[in-house]
Amino acid sequence: MKMTKEIIERIEGEATLELEWENEQVSFAKIKFFNYRGIEEILKKRPLLDALALTPRVCGICSHSHAIASVLAIEECYKSAGEALHITQKAKDIREIALNAEKIHNHIKWYFFTILPELKRVGDTTYAGNAFKDKQWFQAQSAVMQSLKMGAHFTGQWPHGSFVMAGGVTCDPLKSDLISAQGCLDAVIAFCEEHFYGMPLEEFLSFDSALQVMSSPSALSYGIDEMIKHGFDRLGRSFDRFLALGESYRYEGSLKASKTTVLGADIKYVHESLQHTFFEDKHKGYTYSKSAMYKRNYCEVGPLARLMVSKDALMRDFHRRFKDAALTRVVARAVECAHLLWRTKVLIDHINLKEPSLIPPKKDIHSLSGSGIGVIEAPRGSLIHSVVVHQGLIESYDIITPTVWNLGNGDKQNPSTAQKALIGLNSFTKADFILKSFDVCSVCTTQ
Amino acid sequence: MSLLNSDVTFDFLILEGALSHDERLIQRFNLPFYEILDTLAARAKYIICAGSCASFGGVFRLRDPEKITGALFSGKEKGGYWLEKNNIINISGCPVHPRWLVETLVALHHGEKVLLDEFLRPKEVFSYLAHHGCLRNEYFEWKVDSKQLGEREGCLFYEHGCLGPMSHANCNKILWNDISSKTRAGSPCLGCTEFDFPRRALYETQKNMSLPQTPFGISKRAYYSLAGVAKSFKIERLEKKLIDEND
Repeated sequence: MKMTKEIIERIEGEATLELEWENEQVSFAKIKFFNYRGIEEILKKRPLLDALALTPRVCGICSHSHAIASVLAIEECYKSAGEALHITQKAKDIREIALNAEKIHNHIKWYFFTILPELKRVGDTTYAGNAFKDKQWFQAQSAVMQSLKMGAHFTGQWPHGSFVMAGGVTCDPLKSDLISAQGCLDAVIAFCEEHFYGMPLEEFLSFDSALQVMSSPSALSYGIDEMIKHGFDRLGRSFDRFLALGESYRYEGSLKASKTTVLGADIKYVHESLQHTFFEDKHKGYTYSKSAMYKRNYCEVGPLARLMVSKDALMRDFHRRFKDAALTRVVARAVECAHLLWRTKVLIDHINLKEPSLIPPKKDIHSLSGSGIGVIEAPRGSLIHSVVVHQGLIESYDIITPTVWNLGNGDKQNPSTAQKALIGLNSFTKADFILKSFDVCSVCTTQ
Repeated sequence: MSLLNSDVTFDFLILEGALSHDERLIQRFNLPFYEILDTLAARAKYIICAGSCASFGGVFRLRDPEKITGALFSGKEKGGYWLEKNNIINISGCPVHPRWLVETLVALHHGEKVLLDEFLRPKEVFSYLAHHGCLRNEYFEWKVDSKQLGEREGCLFYEHGCLGPMSHANCNKILWNDISSKTRAGSPCLGCTEFDFPRRALYETQKNMSLPQTPFGISKRAYYSLAGVAKSFKIERLEKKLIDEND
């Protein structure tokens, strides 16, 4: 049996993709992550609030997401100890704006700096690209920076801002800050209208057919054409099973979907597996990435999952045509970005600055004992922080990241979401692209 | 691998992340990381440590401080991955500010001499303290605490663990994302550019006999005398909200 091993480049962190081949087709894939840093161990016996500062250091992309998941887990600890904290709508809105800034920046960055160049490389394997000579690259970079600047009005900095605290947020913005933030957001919207979607945001958001998106010249329709040309409208399909455990303004509670059937989900069915990891067996293991499952099933998380559980009309049309192919997964990020831009504009417009930013807990944190789980929808999907605290010190801290959902390792009988999407392909270049369609992040897997 | 097997020399080797000689902790391409690093380091004109992990060991050194270190330092002690090396520049910070890195690289590229402090950090960045340019400076001068987080008023140094007065970095001079900083968003400085980052209990002020530590380079006698005097005055303006809608 033939076996190939390649380092996956241009992702967040590093990964190796090992493919097993039979009759010129991928028969199995192993996705290997080698960077273990042990942040969960480091947090043990530290004061609870240190988690707010240290967990964002898990990832240079999703640092706000980690901060928010962490504060939600800490607030749940207070609740389990008998004090339910009241979080003002203003604080909730600011947390959401920060999270949206992170998602918007991630989606633009990923589409323009990973997907577009990768598509060119699929068409021409000698393509090297030169970011410094590509005008659109500069404009996309500027949009990325504007979206982060928009968020930094509230978070102080990206990455690794520490703007959340048990009971709310630490910032107290002025009206002028909102106007400045809105200006940054408008610049991002202008970029997306001109380049990403090729039309006004409102028009794009009114669509319910893939054909409408494809009919207007834009970076998105160019990408769709290229993906169809290379067969990614059929390739990269997985289980067609989705999960979104964190909250969103577009749906109620935690949800799962199997194809287009949407049902409630409960975090209690989440299971973290050590299969194939160095933690289970340091000799036979081959990755530091754990795998997460829902009722022993692998599910896809991320923008496509969120849009599928929210029954988004446009994504459902793409899904009807292409199922959960790589194309659908890529388009979902673009579509979600449009919704987030709109939503964030509304949030900034309507935020009530008269409310307090933070209502401090009454209970002394040094005597706090209990446990809590914080779940949010990070750029790449559901992110779970679970903490047990005793007398103010962390007893245990467990983080389940989105990459662990999508890019874990199952076995041939029960492959993970990404493994399933890779099996049957006939070239490494295509496997590489399909793996990247999950927006691979190795640093979050191996905290 | 082709770079590794070549004899190409280069101006800058930029290191990110903490280092270790233990191949069980860090390896690449089935090679112990020290083989890769030693090969490349020998060919670099400058070795730039980008961030606190590469500089001092940072967050991830805490997992095993004996084995995991920065390039030349382990915390504040000299003797990290290397015992001695004369071409290292530390640009600490968690994260490193992109301008710190780019400006250092450009200056070196132009053949300029970059002055370094005792921890081998560029002085143009690290002679400043995070405290410089903090919008809450006046509250610090007059010793007015921030009663709780989430407000524009008050200093975060006395109760909320702010390390701005002892952390070397120009965060509040050049700002982050061109607009803000931790203290401007109402959060304490975590001291992420220092060798002892992350301290324990980051959101609490470490006190000795109920007195906070003194700012960097200020003697206890000078600081506590001045603090005592400042605190003895009640400055009405500083006790009020910055913007009071009912005024």
